[in-house]
Amino acid sequence: MKEWVGLLARLATGAVWIVAGAVKLPDPAQSVDAVRAYQLLPSSLVQPVGQLLPVIEIVVGATLVLGLLTRGSAIVSALLFAAFIIGIASVWARGISIDCGCFGGGGYDADATSKYPWEIARDAALLAASLFVAWLPSTRLSLDRMMFGRALEPEGL
Amino acid sequence: MSKKNRPVGRTERAAAAVHEMQRQERRRRNLMVGGVVVALLVIVLGGYALSRSLDTSDDVKAPAAGGGDYGLTIGPSDAPHDVVVYEDFLCPYCGELEKASRSDLAKLASEGKVRVEYRPFNLLSSISDYSERSAAVFAVVLDKSGPEVAKKLHDLLYENQPSESGPFPSDDDLIDLAVRAGADEAVVRTGVEAGDGLDWVARATTAAQDAGVRGTPTVLLDGKVFQDGRTMDDLAANLVDRLE
Repeated sequence: MKEWVGLLARLATGAVWIVAGAVKLPDPAQSVDAVRAYQLLPSSLVQPVGQLLPVIEIVVGATLVLGLLTRGSAIVSALLFAAFIIGIASVWARGISIDCGCFGGGGYDADATSKYPWEIARDAALLAASLFVAWLPSTRLSLDRMMFGRALEPEGL
Repeated sequence: MSKKNRPVGRTERAAAAVHEMQRQERRRRNLMVGGVVVALLVIVLGGYALSRSLDTSDDVKAPAAGGGDYGLTIGPSDAPHDVVVYEDFLCPYCGELEKASRSDLAKLASEGKVRVEYRPFNLLSSISDYSERSAAVFAVVLDKSGPEVAKKLHDLLYENQPSESGPFPSDDDLIDLAVRAGADEAVVRTGVEAGDGLDWVARATTAAQDAGVRGTPTVLLDGKVFQDGRTMDDLAANLVDRLE
């Protein structure tokens, strides 16, 4: 039963990542602007992070959906969600009103403050789903099972 | 080796064989995992290269300070550096940058160390028509009253910048600011009421977009996009450091 719930968590989280990354990938400049708007990273890191994030989101989403290196992917996913929660909480605390840029967009948004709690709640739910997947020894319908079988107890992956 | 011990030996051998199989299985598994990790890294690096090539944020090709058709220039033409600031009178970060950089840039320009061109345009038309109206009054003042008065109006517009959520100053309020800057009220009012500046703003906005400007403030130092700074205060400080 848990393994089926794990599959659902994998698919839901993975799909969110794929959509979030695919929306951003065609316009890295916007992604870079969105990262810059958080005013968190040193300026030399803003551009690489903004360019890399959509790619990592798509790859993590794909590996979660496929169930490839599930545990590692789920841990990366959880770390990313934790970072996003910190980022949003930080702009909220500093009174900066920006579109989170979660699914494209970014930059100033006058209504942002009312959206922050929902964005944090959404990311927290996805963080919980990621941690659940990471905690499970294995999930249903995964490439991991097909490739690595169940002959051995899973070891960290 | 006695007969009694044989079964024990067989068990041990069997155990050793199983152990060996498990070891090989684990090895095969680790190799596969390693292979998958490498493949994923290659995909990420490829994606990063693609993303870098698609990133247009540095692709701004604009005329140098003093060379634009829709801007206000301070500082001599033989200054060693040129700075262009694309801005929108409504954009809060432009206001922050302005607050943090204005007096230093004015001083450096007067010392001949930099030539600065401010190029206001209408970026935030989706929020309010204030961007357009304020830039239009600025255009009328620049045309009728000259750059010095226009610079004062520019500064006053930022000092009296409305929030992006309003309320927004009316045209009368903007004309008042122009008068405070030193413009002749009748001249400015006639121009504004005839809609003189609006065309200028539309053309300035097209020129900014054609140059590849995506947002405001966009600062160019010697023709290159300057983004060195986490906050607008950092950016202004770093920019001034480069110019001194």
